[in-house]
Amino acid sequence: MTTSTGRYVPRRVNWNSTSGSSPASQAQGVEEDAVAEQLLIGHPPNAQAPAVERIDSQDIAVAVDGVSMIYRVRSSSEYLRSKGVTARQVKKILGAGWAEIPALEEISFTVKQGESVGVIGTNGSGKSTLMKLLTGKIRPTTGEVYATSTPIMLGVNAALVKQISGRENIRLGCLAMGLSPAQVKEKFEMIVEISGLRNSLDMPLKSYSSGMQSRLQFAIATAVDPDILLIDEALNTGDAQFRARTKKRLDEVRAQAGCVFLVSHSLGTIKQMCDRVIWIEQGRLLADGEPEWVCEQYEEYTDHKSNDRKRSAQIVYDRTRLKLNPVTVSFDRGTRPKRAS
Amino acid sequence: MAAPTTERETPAFTAGQQRTVQLDGTPLVRVGARPGLFQYIAELWRFRHFIYYDSRSRSSSQNSMDSMGRLWMVLNPILQAAVYFTIFGYLLETHRGVVNFLGYLIIGVFTFRFIQGAVTSASNSIAGNQKVVQSFNFPRAALPISSAVRELLAAGPVFVVMAVLVYALGDYQIGDMVREPVSLSWHWLLFFPAIALALMVMTGLGMMLARAVNAYQDVKHLISVGTRIWFYGSAVIFSIERFATHEWMLWLMYHNPAYCVLDIIRHAWVYDGFADPYRWVVLGCWAVGSLVIGFLIFWHGEETYGREK
Repeated sequence: MTTSTGRYVPRRVNWNSTSGSSPASQAQGVEEDAVAEQLLIGHPPNAQAPAVERIDSQDIAVAVDGVSMIYRVRSSSEYLRSKGVTARQVKKILGAGWAEIPALEEISFTVKQGESVGVIGTNGSGKSTLMKLLTGKIRPTTGEVYATSTPIMLGVNAALVKQISGRENIRLGCLAMGLSPAQVKEKFEMIVEISGLRNSLDMPLKSYSSGMQSRLQFAIATAVDPDILLIDEALNTGDAQFRARTKKRLDEVRAQAGCVFLVSHSLGTIKQMCDRVIWIEQGRLLADGEPEWVCEQYEEYTDHKSNDRKRSAQIVYDRTRLKLNPVTVSFDRGTRPKRAS
Repeated sequence: MAAPTTERETPAFTAGQQRTVQLDGTPLVRVGARPGLFQYIAELWRFRHFIYYDSRSRSSSQNSMDSMGRLWMVLNPILQAAVYFTIFGYLLETHRGVVNFLGYLIIGVFTFRFIQGAVTSASNSIAGNQKVVQSFNFPRAALPISSAVRELLAAGPVFVVMAVLVYALGDYQIGDMVREPVSLSWHWLLFFPAIALALMVMTGLGMMLARAVNAYQDVKHLISVGTRIWFYGSAVIFSIERFATHEWMLWLMYHNPAYCVLDIIRHAWVYDGFADPYRWVVLGCWAVGSLVIGFLIFWHGEETYGREK
């Protein structure tokens, strides 16, 4: 692996960040500072005028507008972070407290109809959070997600009820996705076929191995034909036989979907299936563009990371981010959507 | 828990050229937004098969871990009634002033168990089913409703046993208990509208509490205390005329929906007559009121239910 010193870009680029004081405001008096700052909000002093592009109303599929996510989680070890002695003891005895976990910084992008978008990033970078936000399972801390219809996640995380049989789980899962009983009957054969669990359909779910469970979950999830489809690592589950079976169905679903997001750690799959890649790292949007180029940067980054070359990894990180053109979503006057699907 | 602890080495910066995307928002919807009230009801109607199937499959698997299986659904209230009969009826002599005390007690214990079960399981339906909530997009009100319906389905065989017991043992005399013969008549059918109204009350209360429990898990502890108080305040094991010494206590009892249900069923089954029509009025008001208010409260919090905790 090359460190590609030829394309080196200085990583100290914070001088033009919006948070720092700009030379212009330093030169003037204190009084005018406040006024100048007011004018500068949303307009970093160094930036050129933003390039405006228009998306036709038929083309748009998803618009993510300034979405960020901070999880607030109940934690019983939170007292360790308290400063005061009393507060610390009280919290320790009660054993309750909140921990705040920043998962995603503000992120904006738009996706057009017919696009296949790959989403990559190391573990814990915020990919899954972004997917949850896209499907509306959780509400973003700031910003909103807009789409032509509610995106559907297709993965191995569909909940199943342990006590009831596989057959009942299939029915229950399909009904929970909004299929009518007639549709369930129609799809039942296909789901059983994909899961390959015909012989153990009437066993309770707790007797299934974890592999069998995830196969069943995936098979149930493929029963719907969503317009905006999210696939989360689904291709990597199960043995070769199962993967071959799912591939056909997955291609079908993908073909009829208007727009596809694919979350995967397999760069080969991403390059093969997507015409655009979003790289999320440390909760930030790092790159958004050509699969070849983004994957190349990503490979370099992970290679440095896995060999514990922190500074080199950081250089790749900064260098990639320098190339990013941040997007602001702006709705025509009065057309910002409010209604629900 | 999916939340990562990210270590960010650098502050955020942007260097590339800013882009602004102009678009017409009319074809878009806000993902995860709470639908309007009528749309929400329509959605809920679309998911009626899910509600029914969910409650049926779960009620049938409730006791699958016990070796005696579903027999416990019936055995539990019988044992409970036996305990109350021995302690309260026999030793503390709460049976004084109650005609056909055994029938009175059986109806009280069996019916109140159903009421308590429906409220408790409906109020836990969101907080206890986070995996389901996060994996599927359905109107969340489906869960408390299906929990309440599940309790009704599970209570079906229990009510059959209750009817048999009341008919066979309701007028059984032990010691100096007052006795009047119990007979089967069309009055027994009043049981069905009374239980239907009770189910409406429970669903409404359950929806209110489901939102509270989802926001603050601590409420769960209060619910178990609350149902205990409610149990003693509903004249399940004694007659109110004997213990309610103050005017306001009587007033409270007469406006307690659980007491109204018990009173209606007791009059129809044990005393072969009608309860005070005022019971029906109170119960009807509770049913409509709590269902409407509970539904509105629940619908208003629709976007908060999938949140990680």
